[in-house]
Amino acid sequence: MLAQSLIQGLDQFFTPLTLILTTLGVIFGLVVGALPGLGPLMGIVLMLPFAVDMPPVSAMGFLIAIGVGGSCGGSISAILLRIPGTPLAAATLFDGYPMAQKGRAADAIGIAISASALGGLFGGLVLILTAPVLADFASNFAPPEYAMLALTGLISIAVVSDGSLLKGLMTGALGLLIATIGTDEFSTGFRFAFHYEMLNGFHIVAIVVGIFAVSEMAQQVQAGNLNEKPTVKPVRPGFRSVLLTLRHWKNLLRSSTIGAAFGALPGVGGTISTFASYAVAKAMSKPEEGYGKGAEGGVVATESANNATVGGAMVPTLALGIPGEAASAVLIGAMLILGFFPGPALFADQPEIAGGIFLVYLFSNVSLLVVGIVMTPVFVWVLRLKKSYLVPVVLLLCAIGTFALQSSVFDLWVMMGFGVVGILLRAGGYPLAPLVIGVILGPLLENNLRRSLLISREGYWIFLDRPVSAILVAANVLLIASAIFWTIRLRKAQRARRAESPD
Amino acid sequence: MMIRKIHAEWLVTLLFVGVVALVFQQAATDMARQGIASGGPYDNAAAYPKAIAALLGGMVALQLALRLLRARSDEGPDAPGVPLRALLRPALMVAIFALYLGSLAPLGYHLTTPLMLAALMLLAGIRNPVAILVPALLISLGFSFVFEAWLKIVLPGGFLHLNIPW
Repeated sequence: MLAQSLIQGLDQFFTPLTLILTTLGVIFGLVVGALPGLGPLMGIVLMLPFAVDMPPVSAMGFLIAIGVGGSCGGSISAILLRIPGTPLAAATLFDGYPMAQKGRAADAIGIAISASALGGLFGGLVLILTAPVLADFASNFAPPEYAMLALTGLISIAVVSDGSLLKGLMTGALGLLIATIGTDEFSTGFRFAFHYEMLNGFHIVAIVVGIFAVSEMAQQVQAGNLNEKPTVKPVRPGFRSVLLTLRHWKNLLRSSTIGAAFGALPGVGGTISTFASYAVAKAMSKPEEGYGKGAEGGVVATESANNATVGGAMVPTLALGIPGEAASAVLIGAMLILGFFPGPALFADQPEIAGGIFLVYLFSNVSLLVVGIVMTPVFVWVLRLKKSYLVPVVLLLCAIGTFALQSSVFDLWVMMGFGVVGILLRAGGYPLAPLVIGVILGPLLENNLRRSLLISREGYWIFLDRPVSAILVAANVLLIASAIFWTIRLRKAQRARRAESPD
Repeated sequence: MMIRKIHAEWLVTLLFVGVVALVFQQAATDMARQGIASGGPYDNAAAYPKAIAALLGGMVALQLALRLLRARSDEGPDAPGVPLRALLRPALMVAIFALYLGSLAPLGYHLTTPLMLAALMLLAGIRNPVAILVPALLISLGFSFVFEAWLKIVLPGGFLHLNIPW
């Protein structure tokens, strides 16, 4: 199954368009990753409208490469400016910035890029070896398992999202309700269709662009400092950085394993994996390595972990159709628009697409290594861009990109509406990712829930009658119970701290 | 006046309450009229949204209860807030963007886009007219070239039918 996917995928992968778009995706990803406030998710969201008209593997190559480049790009500003371009690079500044202060900025950036690419390739191997096996196992799933799996995906995102558990679950529920807008697949009746353009529901791209990009720009404008122009010296790393990185091969392997494993767990994501791998690397290091004072190993640990996370996160995304985090949810949205459905059926019916995606993922990491090192001076120059120019450009991209989907002014208002909802949710401390994941998983959950009830003779007991479904029900209960337990414990600890220091 | 997180939370609560009310109102009226608000899992298209809405309503009630319980400890007078005037700039950004979206179809891309870009740059604090006008025109033309010449997407021409034949 694996060899067949890869061989059939070669045809899809070895086209000039796919290779060029994947490389362009890496470059764009590095740019949005380097610019504080944007990041890989925003990069994927902004380019989504362009990708939906491309051939499937080329489009996925473009979007995945943005994720790969974006996961690494944040390290450039973390190392040079002590401002992580993305939360993924927050742990990189522990050692990356001190390295730059010691005059080793080029080495630090070179190691960050090399570790990212090598970690990403490790994540790719994990993806290629595990996704088909998981898809094969899931091919025996029936509607009850799929319904519970969708619920597990949504609950785990809500549980680990920023903000409270309750807020995560509420935005997830809102996403599920938004997904019901339009024509019901079973009865063919219309639900909440107040306008003829709502008969097929809201366009997922308009929702995603509004909720993430428009609200982010409002936040950037509110934060101020729009005309700040950081002073950065030119930096030119070389391919010697690969050798410097390989000197830490044990750390590289260990951190990549942590990253890939964390990535495969729904909701955990790259930020947690980078801090975890940094903590492990530091705990296992010798005192003379000087972690926190400019140790090469610190940069290797965090950067290899965050890019391996991308490969890990693709495992449940491709094999089960369950997104592990917001960027994967957007990628699933793209796959649905492009006309293929992630999950076991993808590996059985369209192995060439699955294989093509494996190959573009691997190629994007090779491309990251070459393009990243060669074009570093460009990405460093990008750091000088003022937000006063960036915000208008991003908003224009949001508007025209959304309009280009189906030349619909209605889509523009959907985007605007979700932008305002996103601003409100952010201001109230509600996480946005569960909403988008709710919208993506909503149809999967509802269709399989209703199908389960149709085939069941005992109503909802069908979810407990089947072993896999019962395990998932138990996992969901456990997830919520443990989240409630930890929330209560955290609150008690906060109260105790306040009581100890009333000032 | 200081705007605190709690104010935004109340607005979001109102949004959620509105959504829950809308789901039940639609199930009782529009979906009932279509005959899709009753029957088994196949015919009853209202059951699932009603169940989710009920769940959301329950969570809103729980959150309100928790908020009342924590009112003194978490959101006391020392809780961080943002002065109302600090929200003027993002509010203006949203207003300019909404105005742009509204005028895009009737006035066309080429008339509205440079104006929107210039207004946003001005709002962002750029005061040099050349540093506003030149980038606004260049960015607008650059995007038009990418979309119309490369991607073959016809941008709104407005009542003047302004489109550049690249």
